[in-house]
Amino acid sequence: MRPQALSRTAASAAAGASWLLTPRAAWTRTPAATPSTSSSITSTSTTTRRAQPNLIQPTSRAYHAYTHPAPPPPFSPIETAILSAAYTHVPTHGFSRTSLALGARSAGYLDISTNLLPDGVFSLIKYHLLSQRELLSTTPLPPSPPLSSRVELLTFTRLLANAPVLPHLQSALAIMAQPSYIPTSLAELAVLADEILYLAGDVAVDPTWYTKRASLSAIYAASELFMTNDSSTGFRDTRAFLGRRLGEAEELGGAVRSVGEWVGFNAKAGVNVLRSWGAPI
Amino acid sequence: MSEYGPTSSTTCSPAQNRRSQSSSSTTSTTSSTTESQPRPLKPLTPSQRAFLSSALRVNQAGELAATLIYTAQTPPIVAREPHLGPLMRHMYDQEAGHLTTFNQLIAKHRVRPTALYPLWSVLATGLGWSTAVLGREAAMACTEAVETEIGGHYNAQIRQLLEMVAEWEADGYAVGSEFTDLIDTLRRIRDEELEHLDHAINHDAKKAQPYWLLTSAIRAGCRGAIWVSEKV
Repeated sequence: MRPQALSRTAASAAAGASWLLTPRAAWTRTPAATPSTSSSITSTSTTTRRAQPNLIQPTSRAYHAYTHPAPPPPFSPIETAILSAAYTHVPTHGFSRTSLALGARSAGYLDISTNLLPDGVFSLIKYHLLSQRELLSTTPLPPSPPLSSRVELLTFTRLLANAPVLPHLQSALAIMAQPSYIPTSLAELAVLADEILYLAGDVAVDPTWYTKRASLSAIYAASELFMTNDSSTGFRDTRAFLGRRLGEAEELGGAVRSVGEWVGFNAKAGVNVLRSWGAPI
Repeated sequence: MSEYGPTSSTTCSPAQNRRSQSSSSTTSTTSSTTESQPRPLKPLTPSQRAFLSSALRVNQAGELAATLIYTAQTPPIVAREPHLGPLMRHMYDQEAGHLTTFNQLIAKHRVRPTALYPLWSVLATGLGWSTAVLGREAAMACTEAVETEIGGHYNAQIRQLLEMVAEWEADGYAVGSEFTDLIDTLRRIRDEELEHLDHAINHDAKKAQPYWLLTSAIRAGCRGAIWVSEKV
């Protein structure tokens, strides 16, 4: 089966195929008639955290309005229903078409309706990334510690959110690295770094805005890769790895800042010496 | 010279600025609750968000450049003509206030700052210093050229924001307090920039030699920088 081709055909026929999206329960049987599916949901939903679907924000970093409502979410209500149900099957079945089909079934749609998702399995990965990023805003933060420890706490919280799906994370990373998905994956990584720094309370709007986000993105990606091979209790080793990388980044930033200060001070002092000699500058 | 002294009422510290913003937002909320039926607010379209992002980004870059121009101009000018000290100080203080305002707005609304920050810093310092070395007239011509462009630029932004607001009101939607506040802030800043333009002309900006070359070169540079900052 070629999921891309199939989803394109299905999408073009979507207008005429609205019957696909009629909840299955309405015309065949009630979801209660499938006890095996519903019990698997209750057993897994305790381990995976689910976001409020209307809170999920699209992958873009433009003007964030406060008094005006948020822009429409990136997934339609039907997509959200299917994906959030499918997400509960990921710990058992991975980021796969099986999870999508099971999700569609438990959301009350036909298995085939998952072909309406534009990116197939990648939609499920995207749902994971977007919903777990959105859940970061619910992380309880200590009132006034230094910025770096807040960043570390938020980054580790986000890494821990991968724990329920960790056995399938490498396959997810492989799909994210496919050429057609790389731009979306990188954009989402950048938005995640922005979200962490925003939630940590970073308000710097000078060139460090870029260096902080770039280094945090790299550190997060490295820690995520490290985590896929981490078997320590409570991911202690991942936390230590993350702490070391953040410390190195801070050290490097401090060194660059010191050099800049030294150059600036000497330039200013040089100009002032020339001025004291009477140069008209 | 008390009209532009540090105690001038037009100088608005960030704290005052915050106070005035919070007070205006409370008045707008009370007025909306006294209405019989509160009107809904419309989500911003992607193009409106893109416009607001680039507007805040270019304004921050502009105010950064302005503070650096005045910082670089002040020592050579004041060394030769000490009576201009209070004026330079007053104009610098206002620009620093504007920069603080836009830094806060950029951080609050999660807008990306300009990527060419170091380039604008170097160019602005160079422009300020070289015009100041040329003399008071050239420095004032530089101020005149920059503030003319900036005034027009702020006016264009205010016009576009007012169009956005008028469109919402025509469709029966309410307008969020952050937009009424933003328009008020931009109007205040535009008026202060145009006040600098008047100061520059009052201090012999037109006597700079060659006036036409200086002002047209600086204005072209400003337009180019605005165009680039809106994008990068």
